[in-house]
Amino acid sequence: MPLAPPRSAGYNSPVPSASQAIRVKVLFFGRLKELTGHAEDSVEFADAATIEQLFAHYAARHPELAKYRSSVVASRNQEFAAWDTPLHTCDEVAFLPPVSGG
Amino acid sequence: MATLPHDDIYQLVREPIDMAALTRHVRAPEDGAIVTFDGFVRNQSHNRPTLYLDYEAYQSMAFAKMREIGAQLHEKYRIHRVAMAHRLGRLEIGETSVFIVVSAPHRAAAFDACRFAIDTLKRTVPIWKKEYFEDGAVWADGELPPAPAATPRAKPAS
Repeated sequence: MPLAPPRSAGYNSPVPSASQAIRVKVLFFGRLKELTGHAEDSVEFADAATIEQLFAHYAARHPELAKYRSSVVASRNQEFAAWDTPLHTCDEVAFLPPVSGG
Repeated sequence: MATLPHDDIYQLVREPIDMAALTRHVRAPEDGAIVTFDGFVRNQSHNRPTLYLDYEAYQSMAFAKMREIGAQLHEKYRIHRVAMAHRLGRLEIGETSVFIVVSAPHRAAAFDACRFAIDTLKRTVPIWKKEYFEDGAVWADGELPPAPAATPRAKPAS
């Protein structure tokens, strides 16, 4: 999965404290896994981002994903989370279709 | 096999669920009732003959949610022990996909707790099943788990 555009500054440049880059692990399940073509991904944002923005990042690459937005719930670190939840580096976010266990 | 302070058992397994062992585990001399729920693979879905099912889970979260359900059972009902197992992978017709067993001193609590457990599991535990038919496969219709609508607003600095 292509990441956010690489920052032009070299790896050794100090990261400005005002905009901390964050890297999150992303998981897809069920039909979302089939649609995106992967079960697990990792993505870096140059700046603060929410779960909604993370979903939009993938919807831009997989336009079909957008139509599932209303029938998906998200989790952050194994807890159901609101779409406006801000992400922190090393978070594990999952996009979950309606569950059908049992 | 995880054992909690209540001596409950929660399992996500790929091999057949050992229902007899789980039932023996929850049964104790101080109890007077055991209620079990055995959910197994039906041979049809909406009148289409099913060939088999394939279950997948977000395992770390599914396990955490199953333990949460167990904790709720102990808070809500006068029960003794809980064992809850869900199977993953390919399951044939008639095979048990989910098994819940609750022991209690008296039957009413065991019935109520077992019913609450399976209903809550089906709504909140991140597990999915794909149904395979002669002419294709579909992800089963499911329930959207309840999730917070929005994060609490930060209070403005005073």
